[in-house]
Formats: sequence, C-alpha cells, structure tokens
Amino acid sequence: MSHLPQVLLDGLFAGGAYALMAAGMALILGVVKVINLSHGAFFTLGAYVAYSLAARGIGSPAVAAPLAAAIAFAFGVFLGKSFVNPVRSHPFALPVGTLACALLFEQAAQLVWGPHPVAIDGGAPWAGPLGVVVRRWGVSAFLASAALLGGLGWLLSRRPGLPLKLVAEDEEIAGSVGMDVEAIRYMTFGGSCAMAAAAGAFLAPAGAITPTMGRVPLILSLIVVIVAGMDSVGAIFLLSVGLGVLGNACAYYLSPQWSYVALLCGVALLLAARPAGIVAMAGRQD
Amino acid sequence: MLRWVPAARGGWLAAGIGLLLLFPLSSPDAYFLDVLTTGFLLAAFTASWDVVGGIAGQVTLGHALPFGAATYALALLGRIAGMPFPVAAVLAVLIATAAGAGIGWLAAPLSGPFVALLTLALGEAAHEVAVGHAFLTGPGGYAWGGEGGIPVALPWRDAPPFAAYYASLAFLCLSTWGMLAFSRSGGGLILRAVAGSPVTAQASGVPIGRYKRLAFTVGSAFAGAAGVGFASHVGRATAGDLSLELSFQAATFAAVGGRGTVIGPAVAALALHALFQGLSLPPAARVLLYAATLMVTLRFFPGGVAGTAREIAARLGRREGPRIPRRRREPGTPPGGSA
Repeated sequence: MSHLPQVLLDGLFAGGAYALMAAGMALILGVVKVINLSHGAFFTLGAYVAYSLAARGIGSPAVAAPLAAAIAFAFGVFLGKSFVNPVRSHPFALPVGTLACALLFEQAAQLVWGPHPVAIDGGAPWAGPLGVVVRRWGVSAFLASAALLGGLGWLLSRRPGLPLKLVAEDEEIAGSVGMDVEAIRYMTFGGSCAMAAAAGAFLAPAGAITPTMGRVPLILSLIVVIVAGMDSVGAIFLLSVGLGVLGNACAYYLSPQWSYVALLCGVALLLAARPAGIVAMAGRQD
Repeated sequence: MLRWVPAARGGWLAAGIGLLLLFPLSSPDAYFLDVLTTGFLLAAFTASWDVVGGIAGQVTLGHALPFGAATYALALLGRIAGMPFPVAAVLAVLIATAAGAGIGWLAAPLSGPFVALLTLALGEAAHEVAVGHAFLTGPGGYAWGGEGGIPVALPWRDAPPFAAYYASLAFLCLSTWGMLAFSRSGGGLILRAVAGSPVTAQASGVPIGRYKRLAFTVGSAFAGAAGVGFASHVGRATAGDLSLELSFQAATFAAVGGRGTVIGPAVAALALHALFQGLSLPPAARVLLYAATLMVTLRFFPGGVAGTAREIAARLGRREGPRIPRRRREPGTPPGGSA
C-alpha cells in the first residue's frame, strides 16, 4: 500500500499524455470519420524520435516533442491524402489498411532500432512528500499535454476551429460554402498523428521503448473516444487521466500484460454494451 | 468440387491440384515440402476468414482466436485429459466453433469498423493471456504455456513428410469444397445480401443478426479444423496461433485474392506464403512485406488483384465481341435479357 501514492502520481502523468493522443483519435473520428488503427504507431514513432535524440545527447522533451510532431505530421498528411481519403468509403479497406500501416511501422521499427527494448534516462526525480518521487518527465508531459489540449479546446470553440466543426457536422454543407473538405480531412489526419507522436515523445522516458509499445495507448484512446465521445476536450482529458491511473495501478499490482488485457476487455465490453457514444457514431444497427 | 466454379477457372484449378499432387514425387527438398504443407493449412484458414470477412462482409481481425483455441484445446485435451487424438481433435473443432459463436453473438449487433475493433480486442486479449502465462505444469515439472507453447500428444512418431503433405492438401480441397458449398447455399446467398446492404436485407425480413452469427460460427469451425491440422503438423500449440499477425495475414491474402470468392484467398495465401517463406525472409521482413502488399492492394486494387484482373479480362472480352453470359438463366427470363 505504501507504493500507492507513487503509482497514482505516475498514472496521472501518463494519463495526461494519453489524453493528447486520445484527443487526436477523437479529431480523426469526428472530422475524417475513420477509426485509425495506426494511431499507436505514431505514438511509437514519437518515442523512438525521443530515444534517437537522447542517444545524441539531446534529452529534452522540448526538442523531441516538436520534432516528433513534425515528422508524424508529414507522414500523417501523406497517409491521409494518399491512402485514407481515397479509400475511406470502403468499409473493408480502412480498418485493415490502417492496421497494415501500424504493422508496417512496427516491423520497420524492429528492423531499424532492433527488437529489444531501449530506454531513456528521464533525469533525477524531485523528492516529494510521503516518500513520493516526482519524475521530471512526468511533470513536463502532464503540463505540456494539458496546455496543448487547452489550446485545442480554445481553437475549436473559436472561429479558426469552425471549418473542422462544420466538416465534422456536414461535409456537403462545408463543401458548398467553398471549403476544401479533402484538404481539411488530411490536414486533420496529419495534425492528429502529430499529437500522438508528441504524446509518445513525452512518455518515452516512462518505460521500455519497443516497436509494439503503441498498442496499449491505442486501445486506451479507443476506450476514451467510445466513452467520452468527440465533443468535449475536458471529458477526454479527465477520462484519459482516470484510465492512466487505473492502467498504471493494474500494471503495478498485477502485471503490464494484465493491464493490457483489462483494457482490451474494456473495449470489447463497451462495444457489446451499446454505449451512447457508439450509437452516436452510427456504429450499430438497430 | 469443380462444378462450383466457372469452367475456365475450374480447369486451371484442376491443373494446379494436379501439379501439387505431382510435386512430392519430384524428390523435392524437405524444406519446400514443409513450406507447402503449412501453406495448405494457412490457405484453408484464409478461406475460413473469407467466409466471415468476405461472404458475410464482417471484417474480422481476430480470426486467429478460433484457430488458436483449437490448437490449444488439442494440446490441452491430449496432454492434460489424456484423451485419444481423434476425440481431442473433434472436441477442439467444437470448442473453436463455440468460440466463434460467442464472437458472433457479441459482434452481430455491430457494423463496419466496430466489428473489426471488437474482434481485434478479443483476439489480442486471448493472445496476451496465452503469451504471458505459463499457466500449467506438465509431467516432470516442465512449465507449459507462455512463449514456448504446449506440445501436442500425437499418435504417430516421425510421420513421413509425404503423408503430412498429402493429408494437408486433401484437407484444403475438402474444406474449400465445404466452404464453397456453404457460400452457394441459401444461407450463403443471404449472407452475401447482408454484406451488400444490411438495411435492404433487414427490410426484406432477413434476421441479419442470426445470419451474422451463422457466418462467425461456420467460419470459426473451419478455422478450428485448420488449427487442428496445423497443431498436428507442427506438434505444438503456441501463442503465435492466436496472434494479430495471423489474422492480419488472412485479411491480406483475402484482399489480394479477392474477397468473397473463397478460392481466390486460398490461392493467394498458398502462393504468397510459398513465395515469402521460400525466400527464407526473417519474420519481421515477411510481415512488413505483407503489410506493404495489403496497402498497395487496397489502394490500387480495391477488388483484389485477382478480382481486378478478372474485370480487365472481362472488359477485354467485351471489346472483342459479345460473350455468352455465364450466369444460369432464371426461369421466365428472356434469353440474354437482364433481370
């Protein structure tokens, strides 16, 4: 029980960064209207960018996160424009195609960085009350994610976010008022991938970096989007933090694998139980 | 079997089967014989994916679950319960069928990508449980499960590779015939209608949930049978039998071969498996190639490479002149008239 405050604090930090990734997933689902199963691969990309920079003596997340976001944005725009947009009306192609992209990246990462886990030194932690240590990477990940999500929420509630909201609501009307719907879609896709990569760069020092590390945050993001929906950034943030804490506690007291299994069962149960979020996404037939 | 497929393709298929029957007699390398034996079982598994993902249009990314359930059931029933191999094999197929029925029960109310998501989550959960835990201890204190898997109690020792090859080929032919028969049955045709337009099928009074469950159950039964064959061939049930990569491979082969055709995915599975395995590529490079192949196929050949080739051939045929339609004429329909 003495480790509980530490487990909760680390879960809080991780959950904050997961919220950034989940918000990206929600944007893709809302604007592009696809479930992006390659979202976790961009998280992994961000972590490996942070690792590569750290191996060259640049360990600051202030450098790693923007660089990872820029790389992921470029790949995301390419993927959105050249693959997702042309096949998005095909019910088979999208889930299988985005999964193919995820596996492609996982295998490429394995060939480039090797199959074995690598790690980054997160710096000496600060001593907190009750013997709790406050990890530097955790504080920076949580604060940066909260700030970015606050900015996203502000953007969506103001005039610059109007095109995104309009495309999410009705693409035909957006097109009829002169908006380039296709460009908005692939730019949103790229931006969302950048958010996932930034989250990966922030959380890189949290544990082992492996080619398949993006699968857990992917499942967690899916749960968040299913439950919280796509409208409220605040709800996404709170739920992600809650799941981050729960997942961390489960990983600590049971095992990381059981934490992943619990998340997977959570997705299955949520889908089977007909939550309102799923109905809103028109995923079910009555 | 051949009466289910159009005449020209049936001829090529017969020639292909003839070559495969002849192959072991040409004194090939044992490795290539093993590659093809595994390929036959993988092809049957891919065809079973096509029953669910192609004919019924329920894109499943957890089809390895019934396959792996059968391999583990065969291993556990033989080793723990000490059941004779034939009994364990039948029970393993029944367990896989039950697993498929369960997945179908959960997935039937869902549509589109949510089916993929649910099946992916279930398959991954089963894989993680299998890979992470040496949950049993065998005789002599050996830990079973985890990465090493569980050995299968086989009634034969050192079976000749020829026997495994011909048995697998026979299983592929029989199971493909069974799946084709199902796809051409009344239930199969209704499933195609459900895949084409669920709303129209429902408006026509089709209980679409029941038929979706049927597709998952039938597809899983064949996947389970392929799993039993696979575990009997390799002699072990491992967590890889439940992996996402296995389900993904089946989806890739189906996309390349043409979804909903049963034979197309099976042929694509056999050809691509033999090609990539024959090149002795490392597993990471193989999955990378599968993923790249799938993305290119989905982007440029949404109907599958084989399907697009057939379309082009049909277009060229039309340019050359009118052809007699292959479809059987319905009673009362004028000759050459459209429905």
